[in-house]
Amino acid sequence: MQSRPDYYIPSGSYWPILGSVGLFAMLGGFAGSLHGSIVGTIGLVLGLGMIIFMVFGWIGQVVHESENGYYNKEVDMSFRMGMGWFIFSEVMFFAAFFGALFYARQLSVPWLAGEGNNFWTGELLWPEFKSIWPLVAMPDPTNFSIPKGIIGAWELPAINTLLLLTSGATLTWAHWALMNKNRNQLIAGLMITIVLGITFLGLQIEEYYLAYTTLDLKLSSGIYGSTFFMLTGFHGFHVTLGVIMLIVILMRCIRGHFNMDRHFGFEAVAWYWHFVDVVWLGLFVVVYWL
Amino acid sequence: MKYLILLFFIFIVYSLGSALYYMMKDNGGSKRMVKALTMRISISILLFVFIIFSFWMGWIKPTGVA
Repeated sequence: MQSRPDYYIPSGSYWPILGSVGLFAMLGGFAGSLHGSIVGTIGLVLGLGMIIFMVFGWIGQVVHESENGYYNKEVDMSFRMGMGWFIFSEVMFFAAFFGALFYARQLSVPWLAGEGNNFWTGELLWPEFKSIWPLVAMPDPTNFSIPKGIIGAWELPAINTLLLLTSGATLTWAHWALMNKNRNQLIAGLMITIVLGITFLGLQIEEYYLAYTTLDLKLSSGIYGSTFFMLTGFHGFHVTLGVIMLIVILMRCIRGHFNMDRHFGFEAVAWYWHFVDVVWLGLFVVVYWL
Repeated sequence: MKYLILLFFIFIVYSLGSALYYMMKDNGGSKRMVKALTMRISISILLFVFIIFSFWMGWIKPTGVA
């Protein structure tokens, strides 16, 4: 495929304004719906719909332009830079959540129990309180849901880890297929990866259901419940996004897009999946084992 | 044991990071990225097997309610 020598500048586009209006409607609507406004809820749904429409429309246009050879090396580089900044923001995002877990677990909870130079803090506030992680016995559980237990590492989490690691391997298998010009293997590898990702999400829903119904482990179960659901929940959200992106890449591969030299879309999504996989491995070790 | 797991993580993050670097640098024209990602997944699987083995040997135990 020939690419243009000059930097491609698209003509006027309505996607950015549509996205902005969609974002405004979604967030404004969300705020309204928190106050019980039906108009707010409608705005939320409409805004979300607009954003989904914008994402598919805009990216579809970019794919079309790319496949028709509008982009040169500089445009390709701009996509890579964009991905780099996106990844940076993702790393910061998860660093903040892992940081919250470490702060609570290693510092603030032991302080409340009188560790370090906080002897009087523990003695004056809750003298009976002992710092034990997972924090099931809270210093003052009045306003919290007290968990009967926590999710064991050998139950669903271990199976989920196995699923995600296998998906990482099948995706790498697909990546090698792309580099070795084997399209059938590429498509098969992507399909298996997507199925494994969806299975992971199904088991994650099952785990949350069990936590809420049988263990009383909820988002409101103090700092342990909050950090547990926040970290695993946002990770699950990322897996959902990864699965959607992999489905788009699969569709493009079926249509014959990408070759061994031009395949940034594939590379970006593959790296994202590996990143989400590493975050899970970190969660598995930190939350369920250490 | 914690430090050994941390060491695994350093290698995993290093290989993932180098894959990112090759993605930014090579513009899809080399196999360095897929090689780094292969390394990444291999070490990760090794870590998982190591955790299972350590549990089986009784070296570590999962987080439990005391």
